[in-house]
Amino acid sequence: MAARTATAPGAPTTKLGKAGYEIDDRLIVAGPVRRTLNKVFPDHWSFLLGEIALYCFIILLLSGTYLTFFFQASMTEIIYDGSYDPLRGQEMSIAYASTLDISFDVRGGLFMRQLHHWAALLFVASIVVHLLRIFFTGAFRRPRETNWIIGVVLLILALLEGATGYTLPDDLLSGTGLRIISAIILAIPVIGTWAHWAVFNGDFVGTEIIGRFYIVHVLLIPAILLALIAAHLLILVKQKHTQFPGPGRTEHNVVGNRLFPTFAGKATGLLFVVFGVCAALGGLVQINPVWLWGPYNPAMVSAASQPDWYVMFLDGSTRLFPAWDINLPGDYTIPALFWPTLVLPGILFTLLLLYPVIERKLTGDTVSHHLLQRPRDVPVRTSLGMMAIAFYLVLLISGGNDVVADKFDISLNAMTWAGRIGLVLLPPIAYVITYRICLGLQQHDREVLEHGIETGVIRRLPHGEFIEVHQPIGPVDEHGHGQLAYGGAPVPKKMNQVGAARRAIRGFFSPVEEPTAVEIDQRAEGRGLSAGESDRELTTSGRPSEGGRPSDGGRPQDPRD
Amino acid sequence: MSTTNPQSDAPLADAGTPVDRARARRRSKHRRRLANVAGLMASLVLTGSLYSVIAPAQAADEGTSESAAEAAGRELYERSCISCHGENLEGVPNRGPSLIGVGEASVYFQVHTGRMPLVRQEADAPDKPAVFSDEEIDQLMAYVQANGGGPTLPSGDLREGDLAEGGELFRLNCASCHNFVGQGGALSSGKAAPSLESSSDLEIYTAMLSGPENMPVFGDNQLTPEEKRSIILYVQTIDDMADPGGAGIGRMGPVAEGLVIWVVGISAMMFGIFWMGSKA
Amino acid sequence: MSTRETRPGSTGGEATPGPLHGGPDEDYTPEQLAAMRREELDLLGARYDGVEILHVDPGPEPGSATEKRAVRQVGWTFALAGVFAFLFLVVYVGSGWFLPEWSWAEEGTAWSALFTPLLGLFMGLSLALVGAGLVLYTKKLLPHETAVQDKHDGSHFDRVTTGATLVGGYHNSGLPRRKLITRSLGFMGVGVGVMLLAPLGGLIKNPNTGNPLGRTSWAEGVRLVRIDGSPVRPGDQEPGSLETVFPAVPGGNFESDAATMLIRLRPEQVLQDEPREGQADFSYGDYVAYSKICTHAGCPVSLYEQETSRLLCPCHQSQFDVTQGAKPIFGPATRSLPQLPITVDDEGFFVARSDYIEAVGPTYWNRERI
Repeated sequence: MAARTATAPGAPTTKLGKAGYEIDDRLIVAGPVRRTLNKVFPDHWSFLLGEIALYCFIILLLSGTYLTFFFQASMTEIIYDGSYDPLRGQEMSIAYASTLDISFDVRGGLFMRQLHHWAALLFVASIVVHLLRIFFTGAFRRPRETNWIIGVVLLILALLEGATGYTLPDDLLSGTGLRIISAIILAIPVIGTWAHWAVFNGDFVGTEIIGRFYIVHVLLIPAILLALIAAHLLILVKQKHTQFPGPGRTEHNVVGNRLFPTFAGKATGLLFVVFGVCAALGGLVQINPVWLWGPYNPAMVSAASQPDWYVMFLDGSTRLFPAWDINLPGDYTIPALFWPTLVLPGILFTLLLLYPVIERKLTGDTVSHHLLQRPRDVPVRTSLGMMAIAFYLVLLISGGNDVVADKFDISLNAMTWAGRIGLVLLPPIAYVITYRICLGLQQHDREVLEHGIETGVIRRLPHGEFIEVHQPIGPVDEHGHGQLAYGGAPVPKKMNQVGAARRAIRGFFSPVEEPTAVEIDQRAEGRGLSAGESDRELTTSGRPSEGGRPSDGGRPQDPRD
Repeated sequence: MSTTNPQSDAPLADAGTPVDRARARRRSKHRRRLANVAGLMASLVLTGSLYSVIAPAQAADEGTSESAAEAAGRELYERSCISCHGENLEGVPNRGPSLIGVGEASVYFQVHTGRMPLVRQEADAPDKPAVFSDEEIDQLMAYVQANGGGPTLPSGDLREGDLAEGGELFRLNCASCHNFVGQGGALSSGKAAPSLESSSDLEIYTAMLSGPENMPVFGDNQLTPEEKRSIILYVQTIDDMADPGGAGIGRMGPVAEGLVIWVVGISAMMFGIFWMGSKA
Repeated sequence: MSTRETRPGSTGGEATPGPLHGGPDEDYTPEQLAAMRREELDLLGARYDGVEILHVDPGPEPGSATEKRAVRQVGWTFALAGVFAFLFLVVYVGSGWFLPEWSWAEEGTAWSALFTPLLGLFMGLSLALVGAGLVLYTKKLLPHETAVQDKHDGSHFDRVTTGATLVGGYHNSGLPRRKLITRSLGFMGVGVGVMLLAPLGGLIKNPNTGNPLGRTSWAEGVRLVRIDGSPVRPGDQEPGSLETVFPAVPGGNFESDAATMLIRLRPEQVLQDEPREGQADFSYGDYVAYSKICTHAGCPVSLYEQETSRLLCPCHQSQFDVTQGAKPIFGPATRSLPQLPITVDDEGFFVARSDYIEAVGPTYWNRERI
């Protein structure tokens, strides 16, 4: 066969080409590779949020592997004899001592530790932002419910991964956190003590827990995360991306850039930017300075002991929850701790997991959707989302309410009560306000479509009345009302957005072009107001470039009725 | 009450030396919580009026049975403290506690950190620039010590101790209110444990000895003078220590870190992807 | 169809060349493909993948000022990234060699505090610039094409045929008819599943043997000692003070439930003191001893406000009043801190009169029964 291809017309002549043929002879990958390279990705910034999370995960795997070379997950007590004077001679666990060694006795170890921790914080933060984008644009609707569920599970696993990692150094802060985890497990009704004995191999703190959390942190959860991320991406590729409505965009296509080379270039660039940001934070901003916290002792604690930000909302709910133990007959108790730490997140994450199903049931919308929605067009969902965010933010701030109280000189007890009241009052307020804003924005879109864009030009009519001239953005009927229907895409609201502005003069800090030359340029191109002064017809089209660049958004081509 | 006070291990002699030393160490930087404008105004007014009464007080005669310093201290006491602490240091109900048995240590701490004289009654007496000069504080201490007794100022090097042991004692006894490395923290109902960042050795020592306001007392039989010195050594060493890992962001732990990741990290990422999504 | 039925190798080793994949290979002969330009081939392949290139904004004209500027930008960005990578190496390798020692010392040489920040700065800048260079490259030098790819709904044909294959296989296995096998398969599935999970039973331990949750090392005559092991006398503490004490047993200062707060009340507090019912004699003079472990989530409750008699837990801000038997007065805690009965032994040191009379630490399901 090699002989055949070598003599066939169009056979490769370069070395690289021949090598490619050799590979394809063996693996037959040319077809799939071409299909992959030709895959079209929509070009919108919000589609890169999930990628940030993905790249954080890669950074976490790399830096985490490095840390395992030095970290020892043992709770055996030793006397510290490392470089850090203020702790030398102190009794501490090997886990803590090896963390100190990474920080002070491994060249570049502190940098890697901090890089790992910052990447972890960024990982969860970018997952949350990605989730919000998916939620508010309706990207979770059929057929993407599965990927939504996988995504939420990824978030939960990321939280568990973070919480176990937070515990590993066995310092005074993480030990306090572990103590609370222990109390939470104990608080489970009926099986609490049994569950605690299973997890800790006995009473708090025992000698096993760091080792167990370690293997969960470095093997179990990362493996599941990896598998689920793979599934998440495979489903994404199989289902293809969603896209925002715009010219030429339908439920049956994807408009954007092909993977190679444009999208690949940008995505790789983003990988390096994420890596760069994590590295810069890892070196320049100190995170979790465990040497200041000291070794764990169950009798010691510090003011303002908090978990990392992603678990802080649960600490907040625990602080706000009233002292309500439920005493059952037979001297059994359901501890107050059970509700805010297990029941509440259980409810929250169940609601989050099932949201696509809930919305489908409520709206009866079972059709497949590949075009996204603007948040304003779905006021109920948007308002529900803002309500959830308000609820979450109250919990999050309450998780650090002692720091807020201290820094802003507010009474701690007042902070607790503000949190309790805010938790009940703020979400409905957020709902109502968001709903109003959505309706207002919707109405304004319709208004602009009907009457045109405000030009800021005031004209006096013959009978003395002053009116503002509006620029219609589409064909008008005999009354001057626009005939375009709203199509789910952004409506231009400023003259600049319909090409009235001069092209920006290039140059970031100082102009690199002559302004006059640009103006002459534009007159030649027929762009900008100065060009329009002569004969430009602004009334027929949303954007001058329309059709050429659908990715700009703008007016839909087929008005709906 | 004075009978329950143990004898201080710190010798009385040469009490001036550590005071001077501490003053030399006292750093000019005073990190303040959000300044209460009203409080500041009030203290300015008070300072002004006090200055006008102190000037003649310094010219008072010095020929009585008490030492000159005590007499001057009495003058100061009667002008500034008597309304709350009573004619004979016995205190005034609902206004100020008795000063019998608090000793010069307490006077030093309260007056030197500017907590006393009080501007107004609130949850905490805030620290502020000291109203009295160092000499006047010495006089007040002499007066209260002579008439009420109590713990005296320590002498010698207040940082002569074991660093690691000081750290352990700090985490056991102090960190619960003052945070891991003395950043301070909130207490119930608007009270707060202050930051130790700008505190002098002697202020920390006298605070432990006297238990100002809501702070528990750490007598010399509970925390020996050596242990107190170890704690001071630890606090000041950590305070002076550079952060090996970059900006310390207040050494606050997760709250500050969470803020940084959202304000800096996520913002940087958003900036990056906006830029990537924008047209060339 | 005839050519496709001849599979290579099936004709007794005769080297008959087979077709490539069918489909496009039938439509386009190698000769036709050889005659096409590269751009045409690219578009042709894209069309086969359902992709149509609507519009191409060509990159900057070769040799134009715009191109030169963009090339300069990208080139400098990458070069700078390389420079910073090199600087990272200089700092990393050079510290302790031709640069000062990196390792941290208490007095902290300036370099040891700069080492990590410099590593982060250089690596961060280097990697971010690599990324920036790549993005600049794609934005400024590559042609911008707008492509449209079709999205296909599922194929009815595929569903029907796949379904037929699946159902056919199931039917041919005879499982629908052979009930015995179905049932035994189900039984086996459950059995094997449970068997494979069973070894996890090694994790399970009985929490109720020996009452570990309800008991601490405190017992009659056990001395109250400080963290360094020294015993405490009634004269040691001032009124308005708090000392954390541990049972005088080996390892007592690391026990998770034994830490106890020995508090000496001020005279005013003594007057206000209202101990819990039946625990009036648990105190000794003006001394009271309460468990340091919060009854809410187990954090050490140790923010003692001696003027307001409050104990505050720094984890969730539960507040307890020491003059009311450490009753919770604010926050999420529901139970008072357990009180340790104390007295003084022959040598004048504090000792416990017994263990705590209730379980210390956080509440759990059957706490009241222990």
